[in-house]
Amino acid sequence: MAFFGWAGRYLWSAWAGACGLLCIAAAWQGAHEFYGSFILPSPLETLREVAVILPEPWFVRAAGETAIRSLTGFALAVGIGTLTGAVAGYSFAAMRLMRPVVTVILGVPPIAWIVLALIWFGSSGGSAVMTVVVAALPISFAGGLEGVATRDRALDAMARSFGAGVWLRFRTLTVPHLISYLFPAWTTTAGTAWKVTVMAELLSNTGGIGGELATARALFDIPRVMALIVAVVAFALLTEYALLHPLRDRLERWREAGLPWGVKR
Amino acid sequence: MGGQAVKLVLERVGHAFLGRAVLEDFDLALTDGEVVALIGPSGCGKTTILQIAAGLLDPLRGRVRRHYRRHAVVFQEPRLLPWLAARDNIAYGLRMNGIARDLRAAMVAQRAQDVGLSAHDLDKYPAELSGGMRQRVAVARALAVRPDMVYFDEPFTAVDVGLKRILQDLVIEAAAREQFSALFVTHDLSEAVRVAHRLVLLPRRADGTIVERAIAGEPGRRSERAIFALVEAWSADPAFRELFDGRESLH
Ligand SMILES: Nc1ncnc2c1ncn2[C@@H]1O[C@H](COP(=O)(O)OP(=O)(O)OP(=O)(O)O)[C@@H](O)[C@H]1O
Ligand SMILES: [Mg+2]
Repeated sequence: MAFFGWAGRYLWSAWAGACGLLCIAAAWQGAHEFYGSFILPSPLETLREVAVILPEPWFVRAAGETAIRSLTGFALAVGIGTLTGAVAGYSFAAMRLMRPVVTVILGVPPIAWIVLALIWFGSSGGSAVMTVVVAALPISFAGGLEGVATRDRALDAMARSFGAGVWLRFRTLTVPHLISYLFPAWTTTAGTAWKVTVMAELLSNTGGIGGELATARALFDIPRVMALIVAVVAFALLTEYALLHPLRDRLERWREAGLPWGVKR
Repeated sequence: MGGQAVKLVLERVGHAFLGRAVLEDFDLALTDGEVVALIGPSGCGKTTILQIAAGLLDPLRGRVRRHYRRHAVVFQEPRLLPWLAARDNIAYGLRMNGIARDLRAAMVAQRAQDVGLSAHDLDKYPAELSGGMRQRVAVARALAVRPDMVYFDEPFTAVDVGLKRILQDLVIEAAAREQFSALFVTHDLSEAVRVAHRLVLLPRRADGTIVERAIAGEPGRRSERAIFALVEAWSADPAFRELFDGRESLH
């Protein structure tokens, strides 16, 4: 019962998001009427094209490829980044050492990594995965590091006074604190993963949605280009709002309790 | 006071932070069921002694001997886990002691009742509780593990006078009922006189003299008038002067 109440409220809050999307659609329609269908197909034409390509086997395969690559990249980046970041957070020396490294890696544009990945991995799915990992790993690393470094020492002393060992303290104090630090990093990573994968696929011509995008561009099939873009955006939104946000809402209900209108259950 | 078995001994304990001596040759012994108030001006090292006694800090010199099963600490701030409801915060110490989940529920309910928390409050997160309720939760969490030694570090400084009395009475009652020994750090002389059997006054400087006074009668059985008279008398006592001159200690 509580779950349905929460789910209902979550879906209801989607109205606000839908309003924003409709504003974009209105602006898009305006631009379409100004430039004409050849430059910019209308939202309706694009949606029709989306409906056409969605059931097609080539699209399903391409979307699957892109999904697997970005998911692999996401999992690797989040896994390795969080783990190493958390470990580094426990050591002052590692923290000092790694902060500039992270800054430098974040400063390199993803496009540069794609070029390097192409040289190292050739035209295979690996280059897309690697680009995602390198582009997204520092964010999780920084999140893990800050999370552990800013853990509450007072709570730690409290737990030690009850004789809690290192592992128990990590599990009951550091991990919940870490999660609140990591969520923003994870949502950013999820968004980046889709975008970077498509970009890498397009440039390395290794299939997936990026590959289809390259083909559609070569054929000047503008509605298909738009449809593919809309599909990618939809996937990114879906990952964030259907997966990550509900998860965070479940995990971080206590935060709502601190808000002025109190806990909603 | 209960039996005469010694529960805690600090022997010639000395400590320094960054080369600044805070404690030198400090001795203290607590017997079974005895409540000792540790009092002194701000910054004189009360928290340091408590942390050393509770094993949260290793002293640079001296020895600590503990002859008890289990201790619990009530800190100056409640130190609750913000992501756990009051119920789970009270159960935290039990959980750290490896008590199974289904056994914890009954103990938590009992302790919540002891400290005056309703079942309704138990489902709230710390952010939804008042300051006084949070400190009650912290006391309940400490008592839930059935400690035979409890360390209190100025637990009630942040609550108003009326509530302070209620919480003090609660501690006095629990100490009498469960026969635990306690080291009760405070800078409030009337609080010390109310809750303790014996009072240890720390000097401002590490090399000053330590004053020890027994407090007549049992905690909880002393009349308000007697407490007031004793506080008045000691306030005029030169030995207690440092407590009231309001300066921070400079080592
Ligand atoms: N971690 C620390 N690092 C450096 N100095 C410290 C540290 N903890 C305490 N001190 C110093 O040691 C002295 C004693 O501190 P302590 O916290 O024991 O005082 P206290 O008697 O509990 O004071 P209060 O009544 O204000 O809580 C103070 O001068 C303080 O500045
Ligand atoms: Mg203190």
